[in-house]
Amino acid sequence: MPIMNEGLLREYEFVTRPGERKHIGEALERADALMQQVAYSLITGAHLEVDRLVKEALGNGYAANTVLDDGLLAGMAIVGVKFRDNIIFVPEVLISARAMKAGMAHIEPILSASGIPPVGTVVMGTVKGDLHDIGKNLCIMMLRGAGFVVHDLGVDTSPAKFVAAVQQHGAQLVGMSALLTTTMPNMGRTISAFEEAGLRDEVRIMVGGAPVTQEFADEMGADGYGENAVECVDKARELLKLLKELQAAKR
Amino acid sequence: MPVKEMKPRERVLAALAGRPVDRPPVCNPTNVATVELMDLVGANFPDACRDVELNARLAATGYTELGFDSIAPYFSIIQESSALGCEMQWEGKDNWPTVRMGNPIWKRADDVRIPAGFLEHRDTKCITGSIRMLKEAYGKDVAIIGKTMGPWTLAYHVFGVQQFLLMSIDDPAETMRALHKLKEISVLYGQAQIDAGADALTFPDHATGDLVSGEYYRRFLLEIHQEMKDRLKVPLILHICGNTLDRMPYIAQTGMAAFHFDSRNDPAKAVAAVHGKIPLAGNINNPTTLYARGPEEVRAEVYKCLEAGVQIIAPECAIPLKTKLENLLEIPAAVKDWAAERMTSN
Repeated sequence: MPIMNEGLLREYEFVTRPGERKHIGEALERADALMQQVAYSLITGAHLEVDRLVKEALGNGYAANTVLDDGLLAGMAIVGVKFRDNIIFVPEVLISARAMKAGMAHIEPILSASGIPPVGTVVMGTVKGDLHDIGKNLCIMMLRGAGFVVHDLGVDTSPAKFVAAVQQHGAQLVGMSALLTTTMPNMGRTISAFEEAGLRDEVRIMVGGAPVTQEFADEMGADGYGENAVECVDKARELLKLLKELQAAKR
Repeated sequence: MPVKEMKPRERVLAALAGRPVDRPPVCNPTNVATVELMDLVGANFPDACRDVELNARLAATGYTELGFDSIAPYFSIIQESSALGCEMQWEGKDNWPTVRMGNPIWKRADDVRIPAGFLEHRDTKCITGSIRMLKEAYGKDVAIIGKTMGPWTLAYHVFGVQQFLLMSIDDPAETMRALHKLKEISVLYGQAQIDAGADALTFPDHATGDLVSGEYYRRFLLEIHQEMKDRLKVPLILHICGNTLDRMPYIAQTGMAAFHFDSRNDPAKAVAAVHGKIPLAGNINNPTTLYARGPEEVRAEVYKCLEAGVQIIAPECAIPLKTKLENLLEIPAAVKDWAAERMTSN
């Protein structure tokens, strides 16, 4: 159906890149009136409304995946675009994340019980010496929404802890975050730790954080860099696909 | 008419006052201590952040070893927060002491209170004591730059970053109340450093474009920063990391003596954004240039800043502790060469 929700229609106008406009537009048009309302409420950070609407939808027989994809993630896609384009900033993203969390509280138990295999397994943490975690937490929320199992190592994560977590959980992907220019070099040290442990070929390593750039990621020897939480999910999918292809070729 | 050769202190204070200089000063509004310098003078982190004598010994190296025009004894951003009772992680020699913001101490504006003996706490006293020592030893020649945290940065520490940013959107009036209470800590500690002999103060207040909009800066902080300039009667160097171009026109209205800016802002665009209303200090890149490249690249960035019209040359922010000395030494060397090439020919 066309986008009938007027607020959502206004929000959609912030999506201007042709590819994204098509992709997000298709998702929103797939959504019915209730899911469009979920998406709009999420964008505006109305967490109590999202909580109520998701409960109502599930109670009315909507599949959990439908509510996730057509309501929550469709809304979050617009939040991601607005954040990337500096239309909104972290406080606005945080209230949307709070709304996402309110919705996910109803959806996650259903998805977990369904036995659907995860898209992939990720170990995420903020590097040693850095206690900032907003960006990392947003990435984790988006990755979980996209079907990844994410093990959150928290902040101030030593290289050894990253390595141990990958071994323990059999993760294919590692995500490292840093907010301080003073702690960014610890990304390189963590990558070295994976080399020393003989695990570098077994995992793909993504980095991000406000001061991190593609250039810095390349210099540290990371496999991927994402500027924001939406890009983090895209990068995770891309790296996982490449890793699987590489492992298949080796066999 | 060329300006006669200045002493470092004179040069820094002239630049902060917008007066002519013999050459642009090289400053450290934020830390330039490194592990190599710690080894050189036997003053390691975290003790050098907590002990007056070790602090002064390490801070002095900014002038004695690196040849900067200023000395800045406050290496991190944690002294007030430690004295307020925040949970600390002191780390070791090669890492920064930091506040465990995941375990905030306060929730609401009403919780904000300045503990009795705040200025007598070991970690606040370390800096004021160090300033006294440094003033005595170097104060005639070198600018001593103290540092007092702005209310926005203090709010991250005492409320937690996420909680504070959520408060800012859920309850802007409560947020303003909290900022007005926290600013009294900025004034109290800033004044203590002025009384101890600081020539200028860095005023970090991290309302960065990585977190909040330029409009946020105008709405929550512009008036408070104007008030700080009136109440703390030494030159104030506002420091905000990250992308700040969108708020520089507001920052230019604060009346502060300089704005210390990050390398993510192009120097020429920054100079254009402030319209000559506030001198700029910066913005040599830390993680790529100073940490991972060599003197040639450092020199190129120094020249780029100077050509753009940046008045005070400095690393963009506190440097990684394993930054190579040769890269830091290149900053004043390049500034001197630039001045010899450009300023005598004018």
